Amino acid sequence: MHMKRLSHWVFTVLSLITLSSCEEEMSNIVTDETAKDVTGNWKVLKLTRNGEDLSKRLDLNDFQISFKTDGTYSLSEQLPFVVNDAGNYTLSDPQFPFSLILQPEGETTEVPVKFQFPVVKGKRQLSLTFSLGCSSNTYQFDFERQN
Amino acid sequence: MKRPFQKLTYLYLLIGLGMTLFLVHCGLTALTVTVPTQAKANEIATFYMHSGAEPQIEEPNTYTTQLLAGIMVPKSWNARKNAVLTYTSSKGNGTLRMIPDAETEPVSGLSWHEAAKKMFGIGPNLIDDFEWIIYRSTQSFTFVNNEHQTADLSFDVKVECRVGPENMLASLGFYVGSSIENLRPEDTDYKKYTFSNPLEIIEGEGDLIDFVNPQLGTVQPVKSLDNDIVTLTFDAGVTNTDLDDMDEIYLSAKAFDETGQLLDEITTRDDKTKLTDVGGKKFILDLWPRGYFNIQKESRIAKLEYFYTDATGTKKVGYGNTDEPFTYTFRCE
Repeated sequence: MHMKRLSHWVFTVLSLITLSSCEEEMSNIVTDETAKDVTGNWKVLKLTRNGEDLSKRLDLNDFQISFKTDGTYSLSEQLPFVVNDAGNYTLSDPQFPFSLILQPEGETTEVPVKFQFPVVKGKRQLSLTFSLGCSSNTYQFDFERQN
Repeated sequence: MKRPFQKLTYLYLLIGLGMTLFLVHCGLTALTVTVPTQAKANEIATFYMHSGAEPQIEEPNTYTTQLLAGIMVPKSWNARKNAVLTYTSSKGNGTLRMIPDAETEPVSGLSWHEAAKKMFGIGPNLIDDFEWIIYRSTQSFTFVNNEHQTADLSFDVKVECRVGPENMLASLGFYVGSSIENLRPEDTDYKKYTFSNPLEIIEGEGDLIDFVNPQLGTVQPVKSLDNDIVTLTFDAGVTNTDLDDMDEIYLSAKAFDETGQLLDEITTRDDKTKLTDVGGKKFILDLWPRGYFNIQKESRIAKLEYFYTDATGTKKVGYGNTDEPFTYTFRCE
């Protein structure tokens, strides 16, 4: 009986030591998240409206958005998009952005767009979510980078 | 070191078995609803849900829970703000409060409202412009085994809701459940839901929005502006028209601004105006109105008037299979 109690105590103390050492290790890890680089030409891979996939029904082949290193963006042609004109862009945070902020040329209003940057099948995808007309209608554009 | 874990495993198994026995033998009776056939626009309509409890509890012999009740109504009613739910039962009367959006339904990981929409859908309605809203009683109830054999455990939930400004015909959805359960698909005991016969909202604004009966022509999303992407559907299976057995259907449309001035008219029959056959005698055309009509930056399309035509343009079908055009007004509310 005495041995059993002793073993429980040893187990508890060891667990606490393990946990506390983990905590120290975690706090020592240096977060080295790279800044998100969205520069390049992006082509629409998928478009959904309120979750419904429209990409096979709409011809989106010619629609591209380009982000340049000088902080400007341009659109290849007139298509339903959150902005209609070229302008400047910034990310809400260089490492952990949750939105892409677009500012069309000649306009003072900034247009924030929900931003995701997942890796799908080894390739980065740019996913932008916003409303075009009524706020009740949500569109998600998934882009892939063109070489 | 092995024994404490083994004990823990047995404990979990025991709890699991106990829960299973406990859950299998309790439940709610079928849900019926009382909904009027008509209600006046902008006025408060009253609906009732009727159900009851059948507590056949093996262990631990009592079951304490709160009542859940849900409604599915058109979004335009703004029911989240103006619906009031109360209940009466032999165990007392009280009110129900909307479950906060931040509270998730455990099985789906969605809010209770979204989870209900995903699970129950829109019933017999054909166009989706509805929202499910789930409420929970502020009071708890405790049931004992076989209580229903000696006591009346039926309850009624009263829903009072302002019905919005639009003329419409819609089936409403209703749900009752138990707060300590979830919306697991296989459960049929703790979630009871049903859809009402069509309710018509009269003396309101605009043309009748018919959610229930198949329509020759529909536009999705129901609420949109000219910068949205809209889908026009021609359902040739609804009734016999001049376009029966046509392989190719085209859109002939006019765009008007807020003052009623014609902005553009497209009556050509080409790839741009051709609808896609999606089977089941249905044809669709997805379009971005601003681009389709090449609208200038400063202009806004307020309304569309359109017909569906054959490849020659000589045969055309309008609203309700008449010579009148289909109309669609761009708006969000």
